[in-house]
Amino acid sequence: MDFSLLAPVALVALSSAVGIAYKLLAGRGHKVNSKDVIDLAKLGATNHALPMTQLGQKATLVQFTTEYCGQCPGVRRTLSQLAYRTGGLEFCEVDITNRLDVAARFSISQTPTVFVLNSDGRLVFRVGGVPKMKQLGEELEKLGVK
Amino acid sequence: MSELKHIDPRGPRFGAAITSVISLASFILSTSLWSLLFGYPLMVLLFILFAWSVFSPNNHPYQWLFKKFVRPRLSDPVELEDPRPPQFAQKVGFMFAIIGTLGFFVITWLIPIAAAFIFLASFLNAFFGYCLGCQMYLGLKRLGVIR
Repeated sequence: MDFSLLAPVALVALSSAVGIAYKLLAGRGHKVNSKDVIDLAKLGATNHALPMTQLGQKATLVQFTTEYCGQCPGVRRTLSQLAYRTGGLEFCEVDITNRLDVAARFSISQTPTVFVLNSDGRLVFRVGGVPKMKQLGEELEKLGVK
Repeated sequence: MSELKHIDPRGPRFGAAITSVISLASFILSTSLWSLLFGYPLMVLLFILFAWSVFSPNNHPYQWLFKKFVRPRLSDPVELEDPRPPQFAQKVGFMFAIIGTLGFFVITWLIPIAAAFIFLASFLNAFFGYCLGCQMYLGLKRLGVIR
């Protein structure tokens, strides 16, 4: 086959494959096996601009945000509504725009990034990007959140 | 930094769709030597368009087209977006366009390679809403590559 025809076809195919992989994988979280107990006060977590130090009885969602993050406000709305509707679940946010040390400490390379903490404040699950809500719901259920 | 004007996120995606068409054409035409005559001017066109959006984004022709023909046909945006990551992405594109443009004087193979990268990034942005350059923004800030 003529190379001049094959190359553009291959380029479009490769680009589509990357795009489809992104659609499938983005927002899919993964389990974290860490002994890290996260101190919300130390992180400077807030809930609607008010400092937040109390963990949820069953679980806590921590959203890492930056000022320039386009999808963060939407995710904040979804998650804070979920926490509002759900007993034992709290939601809080950490703005890391000027706190790259926090980003480095938790290896956060994109915002939004969402952490799920259990009742002891231990990080058990994390999602990079806009979370797939079905999967996140299943993870929360495992922690006893209904 | 003073108040930034937030933008309709579909604006950059519309621009990326046009860029992906131009870069694919440039890629196809610059893989053979005779058609480089057409492929290279397209790379220069990309260079001009990227330079324009890096140095003077507010009067860019893509923006004008979007405001005049596309935006009136769309519903209100759900969310406005901070312009910094897409502007950073334009700088990444600009860098590839510089490589492609200089390629003519160094190795002509650099032209299709640069065109391929520009196509990949703009195609993903336009059709999948995945902005490679924007994704790199926080990571590179963390590494201290950009401020």
